Amino acid sequence: MKNVMLTIFFHWVIVLALAPLFVGVIAKVKAMFAGKKGAPVVQPYFELARLFRKQCVYSRTTTWIFRASPIVGFGAVLLFALLLPLGVCKAPMRFSGDILLAAYILALARFFMITAALDTGNSFEGMGSSREAFFSCLSELALFMNFITLAIMTRSISFSRMIGADVPLSWPHSNPVLLLVVASLFIVLLAENCRIPVDDPDTHLELTMIHEVMILDHSGVDLAYLLYAGAVKLFLFAGIIVPLLIPFRTGDPVKDMAVFLAGMLGMAVFIGAVESSMARLRLNRVRNLLLIAAALAFFGFVVALWRGGA
Amino acid sequence: MTSWIDLSCILIVFFALAILATYRIGGMIKIFAAQSLTLGLVPFFLHADALSGRDVAIALGTMVLKGALVPYILFWAIRHVSMRSEVKPIIGVGLSIIGGAVLIAGAFWVSLSLRLPGKQASDLVLPCSLATVLLGFMIMVTRTRAVTQVLGYLVMENGIFLFALSLFNAMPTLIEMGILLDIFAAVFIMAIVVNHINEEFEKGPAAVSRSKMGETF
Amino acid sequence: MIEHILRIPWHVPFGGFSLRLDPLSVIFLAAVVILVVCAGIYGIGYMRQYKGKKPLGLHWFFYGLLFAALVLIVTANNVILFLGAWEVMAIAAYFLIVFQDGELSVRRAGFIYLVATHCGTFCLFLMFFLLAHAAGSMDFGVIAATNFSPLLAGTVFSLAIIGFGVKAGFMPMHLWLPHAHPAAPAHISALMSGVAIKTGIYGICRVLWMVGVLPDWCGYALLAIGIVSGVMGVLYALGQHELKRLLAYHSIENIGIIAVGLGIGLIGRAQHLPFLAVLGFGGALLHVLNHSLFKGLLFLGAGAVIKQTHTGEMDRMGGLAKPMPVTSALFLVGALAICGLPLFNGFISEFIIYYGLFQGLFTLPLPGVFSCAVGILALALMGALALACFTKVYGTVFCGRPRDPEIMVKREELAPAMAGPMIVLAGLCVWIGLSPRFAAGMVFSGGEYLARTGQAAVNPDRILIPLSAVIGGAFIFCALAAVLAAIRRMLVKPSPVQETWSCAFPQVTPRFQYTSSSFARPIVEFVKGLLLFRRQGGKVEGAFPGKSQMSSSVHDAVEENLFRLLFVRFTDISRKFDAKRIRYTQIYLLYIFLFLIFLLVWKLR
Repeated sequence: MKNVMLTIFFHWVIVLALAPLFVGVIAKVKAMFAGKKGAPVVQPYFELARLFRKQCVYSRTTTWIFRASPIVGFGAVLLFALLLPLGVCKAPMRFSGDILLAAYILALARFFMITAALDTGNSFEGMGSSREAFFSCLSELALFMNFITLAIMTRSISFSRMIGADVPLSWPHSNPVLLLVVASLFIVLLAENCRIPVDDPDTHLELTMIHEVMILDHSGVDLAYLLYAGAVKLFLFAGIIVPLLIPFRTGDPVKDMAVFLAGMLGMAVFIGAVESSMARLRLNRVRNLLLIAAALAFFGFVVALWRGGA
Repeated sequence: MTSWIDLSCILIVFFALAILATYRIGGMIKIFAAQSLTLGLVPFFLHADALSGRDVAIALGTMVLKGALVPYILFWAIRHVSMRSEVKPIIGVGLSIIGGAVLIAGAFWVSLSLRLPGKQASDLVLPCSLATVLLGFMIMVTRTRAVTQVLGYLVMENGIFLFALSLFNAMPTLIEMGILLDIFAAVFIMAIVVNHINEEFEKGPAAVSRSKMGETF
Repeated sequence: MIEHILRIPWHVPFGGFSLRLDPLSVIFLAAVVILVVCAGIYGIGYMRQYKGKKPLGLHWFFYGLLFAALVLIVTANNVILFLGAWEVMAIAAYFLIVFQDGELSVRRAGFIYLVATHCGTFCLFLMFFLLAHAAGSMDFGVIAATNFSPLLAGTVFSLAIIGFGVKAGFMPMHLWLPHAHPAAPAHISALMSGVAIKTGIYGICRVLWMVGVLPDWCGYALLAIGIVSGVMGVLYALGQHELKRLLAYHSIENIGIIAVGLGIGLIGRAQHLPFLAVLGFGGALLHVLNHSLFKGLLFLGAGAVIKQTHTGEMDRMGGLAKPMPVTSALFLVGALAICGLPLFNGFISEFIIYYGLFQGLFTLPLPGVFSCAVGILALALMGALALACFTKVYGTVFCGRPRDPEIMVKREELAPAMAGPMIVLAGLCVWIGLSPRFAAGMVFSGGEYLARTGQAAVNPDRILIPLSAVIGGAFIFCALAAVLAAIRRMLVKPSPVQETWSCAFPQVTPRFQYTSSSFARPIVEFVKGLLLFRRQGGKVEGAFPGKSQMSSSVHDAVEENLFRLLFVRFTDISRKFDAKRIRYTQIYLLYIFLFLIFLLVWKLR
């Protein structure tokens, strides 16, 4: 029992410590592409510390849901963290079907975020919620399609088995499927974590916002919770993709962990590069992008069936 | 080398799907160029252990012809018209993507019952080439402009070529060269025809709207 | 698997008063009793507004009759008893639905309901006739023990799908639901959605139990019907802007989920995969119970809202959480449960069905793998769309500011008669969500019973262990939320409340808020063709446009394209008969004459 508590605590420490760094690296890469020096990589830590010191201002129109939404969001993401293996650290909670708990606890956070946005009684937030509700349908579709493909390949429905040890070892045999799954999951990552080309995390124009606009009225500690939750969610989504890409296991835990962390760094740089080289898509193109993600995952599924059966 | 062939096959199908999902003709032609370049790499992977001059010639020929020359001709054909603008497919892009995915699944399903003689380099070649052919057909059917229909035809050719490359190791060089020449001639003629249609519209009455230029009937 | 059978002598030809209590009927009986009692207590408070104006005694008489009929339906062991109770239920429900018979729309809705349910009953008569004839007896137990030919089994299955499907609300036959459920008073809608449509599911389950060996295509057909009903149901729900109609369409979606579970269970049974069968059937049965709980809660909450605002239009409501805190909190529980979110019971049943679908992905042959994949995708899509739908409902009705200044809602005085049942239902949702052992055990035995496996063919731990882990996760989440809230309480001092900031945009009126139709617009526009989305007016012309009006609506494609055409055709044909001046007497004589010929031919063969 104490062992379990220790692993849970350790897992949270890693995630909470590294997630803002991940966001900082992305921001630095984007600045470098733009020819600027950019903020230091540890800037997000200072941001969060600053926000934790501020007070929360609430609006007259809002109810308890508005106050509850950051807590539900952050709590959900931390539970999601417990279900994912990070490199050599095994997931503290692993059971058959934990992918379903992960997907649906994130949906719980989304429900509260959308309702809190509608709670403010303003059309900006309504805009963001409406778009978020629509895009989440498509991204859930793509995500589950990927789950199905990985489940077929690993014959298991637990994260620890699906993205854990076995799959990349069979990289030569199943690499086309993995390539498609990784591409599809990458698009889902961009969509779920409000990155360009789906959403711009730096702007505050209503034409371009989806996630950003929903948290417009939160402030102080609430905003800190939401930003932290966003960073952790991005880190965890990248943590799903990176183990699929690493094609080898050395067997030495220290080396494996170093490889994983290097992979995460590479992923952050890649996300920054993608964000810098593309413009934000028009909203109906975003819909098509998510459909392409679903189609890619579906293609991967068909190839996995073909390979598995034939 | 199987994994590289697998990757190329998957990429070729992916590019075909991407053409289905693109609005702009300029983008479609560029994706087609990328697809042909990938196709050109396949002979290298197939005969990696015993590269002959013939294979290198075919690979380079494909890459130059379909990866560079044909796209250049197509860009030349559309230069007069502002047809780099949007081309909406008949059934909408969303439905096209879904239809494309269904066609890919259908191609794999059909391939289940097709048993080919001899040993193949990779078991993905047959279904992927079939999928590319079907997707090429779909591009042809769901678009209204002449250039996009030419592109669909070319994508189909890519699929057939992939099939032929991988399965017939002993195909005489002459036939392969003949195929490439056929394609070249066809595209050249199509480009000239399209150009003439466009020029006719340019000279014609002003009532013809720009959006209808280049549409086939 | 304990079956208790009670027989009482009854002098109806072919009939016998025999009741059966088995694991299958226990689940449905539980749902019936809980919801009837809760809705009844709620109704006492709700109907107080009609005291003296309408005959309440008659209403309660039919309510009791409905209760008796429902209990008889789920425990009947004899065909005649079942059909008799079925008819009584239909008639009693009709009288309960048309309570406000002063309004034309209510009368029309009742009429549509009556016609639809009798069309279904017609198929049921045919089906039971076939079954009883092949088995030689009207007793369910005897029918269950006979072997049927594949052709007969297939025909019975199809008739059951149509006949019970009309009652349950499967997609092409659902059209009476969106008319009847909103027309009824709130507690009757809760009863209809929560229990009455479940009798259709009960019927299908009973047929699946009685006909032990069904052809393979039956499972796939049920799965397909479930997927179509589920996805189309929630899409139509998204397009509605009237509260009770939206909830009615949403019931169709949940019926779809139940049908998916039944389908995968049937596929598992046909392929002799006991774990798959038990998961599918068990998940479907648990969802039956869960849906009656949370849908009942939602309808009762909607009733409380409508009682205060005197309108069902969501676009005229807004900000009701402030004057109605208890209702909004309970409605939120129902909304979270129906989206299948963790901590509540909807997640548990959906988890079991998902688990079954994934198991099918691993163990079935190729067509089964494909169907399971489509099923998983459909469930995921349904979940996300349901989330969109209920954030729309909750956000539009309870959050923000009131959109129509004419709707003045005073501080809620929710009568204890109305609040009590809602609290009980919400409590049950949370209880099943956080400690599903009891409920899971109950549905597991029901699932095994339907799957006709032996008692210990499947180890229940295979599903209970993941479920316990899920509950563990839920508790960790609650602990996390508590800790985070405590941290925030420590760090933040209470500060004065301001206006909404939203980028410092001045002069925001409540009409700027997103309405329910605008919230759902991206999704509705994406599937415009399926949903027959129509828009009138609202064209902006000229440089200085004047006042104009716009309205948009979503029409039921099945109703418009299929049934309306059929009815027009029928009306044409019947008009032709009228024109030929054939009297009704002659038509009845003609029927008797034809029946006589039929009897002669049949008996003399």
